[in-house]
Amino acid sequence: MAETWEYFLKILPALHDGLKVSLKVFFLTIIFAIPLGLPLALGSISKIPPIRWICKTYILIFRGTPLMLQLFFFYFFLPRIFRDTLNQLSPEMKEFVFKYILDALPTAIITFVLNYAAYFAEIYRGGIESIDKGQHEAAQSLGISKIRTMFGIIIPQTVKRVLPSVANETITLVKDTSLVYVIGVGELMKAAKGAVNRDQKLLAYAVAAGIYLLLTFLLTLLFKHLEKRFSKSEEQGGRKRG
Amino acid sequence: MDNVTKTNTPILRMKDIHKSYNNFQAVNGVNLEVYKGETVAIIGPSGSGKSTLLRCINRLERIQKGEIVIGGEVLCSTNENCKVVYVPERQCKKICQKTGMIFQHFNLFPHMTCLKNICYAPVHVGKVPKTVAKEKARELLSAVGLSDKEKSYPGQLSGGQKQRVAIARGLAMEPEIMLFDEPTSALDPEITGEVLSVMRDLAKSHATMIVVTHEMGFAKEVADRVIFMNEGTIVEEGTPKEIFENPKTERLKAFLNSTLRI
Repeated sequence: MAETWEYFLKILPALHDGLKVSLKVFFLTIIFAIPLGLPLALGSISKIPPIRWICKTYILIFRGTPLMLQLFFFYFFLPRIFRDTLNQLSPEMKEFVFKYILDALPTAIITFVLNYAAYFAEIYRGGIESIDKGQHEAAQSLGISKIRTMFGIIIPQTVKRVLPSVANETITLVKDTSLVYVIGVGELMKAAKGAVNRDQKLLAYAVAAGIYLLLTFLLTLLFKHLEKRFSKSEEQGGRKRG
Repeated sequence: MDNVTKTNTPILRMKDIHKSYNNFQAVNGVNLEVYKGETVAIIGPSGSGKSTLLRCINRLERIQKGEIVIGGEVLCSTNENCKVVYVPERQCKKICQKTGMIFQHFNLFPHMTCLKNICYAPVHVGKVPKTVAKEKARELLSAVGLSDKEKSYPGQLSGGQKQRVAIARGLAMEPEIMLFDEPTSALDPEITGEVLSVMRDLAKSHATMIVVTHEMGFAKEVADRVIFMNEGTIVEEGTPKEIFENPKTERLKAFLNSTLRI
């Protein structure tokens, strides 16, 4: 038992470093993908056909291909496609671009943001379209502009409805962060795998599993709290009477 | 009709209105003039086009032929190529703001308190200062008998209360014409009374009202003029007395018989 504990302490720093990267991918993806989904959602229900087509195609591509393939694509193919352009840049500029865009971790985060924004966009679209037509009509009859109707009346009502789906997607994201190791980012899963391969002991996997579980558990609590908060103000006893 | 002078130009004029969905002709050549201070009730079987006609007035439905003039301003007209032309969007909006609408299903904003429901349009559309709008909203709430509900959310109200808040919300924009689209049809019979009494008060204050309704009692008692529609056209119109006591057409007789039997 003491031996296991000692081994646990030994692998912990590596796992901790891995976890930090995983969390970085997770939080940056959430921070950027959640807002980015909104313009995509609005675009995909836009009355202007080109905007609608662009957004729908974007969503189709990012939801329709594996995330792992997208990681490969952005990591291996993009630098090649833009090779000529890159070569024209000044050395400092080139270094900057490699460090902050084309390096494995930034590429992974960018890919995740683009991918998850597509999923969030679809969730938002569903939410927006689920709001009763009467809300639009009431707003129109009061002379409220289309934009204000969307942002002041429709979207606030959507938040509560999309929360469970957003929670679901967020929990999926926790686990999906383990995918980034395919382009060599040293996150939690890679750290665990390294320890297992090196020491021929499975404990690192178990610890990693425990950490993922803990993270999703905390998120579940957070979203439960949010759902409660949002249902408190709005439509309290909404089904009390027709 | 005593207090309504027909010599004035009408506040609403609809000429030869046509509206169809796919192959269904919902409104088929209706002419309607409404004068200031008048309460007009539109009755008729379901599917007769009365709601559609009402919704054409504030452009919730776009007509396919005809002309609509509100308060002397042309909203839309038919040109020589038989195409309906609406005035530019901004003007349309301005003209439509002369109307306020009450819906069958209230359509209150569920995420706002009653007070905010009423204030929202005056503040954001009418650019009325918040404090003034709130003051006015409280007055309106008390006029519909719901002073104690200003902080309540629509979900906490009964159907009748919701509809009264909706009426207050409509009035807050100070429309010249109030449009009621079956305002009591979604309510339990025992609470239609509270909504009808608010509407009765409104009619007494010489507001111009067009009411699509199944409440024959209300039409009989409150309306200055009753219009009977069937299959997209106005079959008969007249004072409540003429319509209810002396119907001329067989269709109206049959309709009245069937409603009275229930």
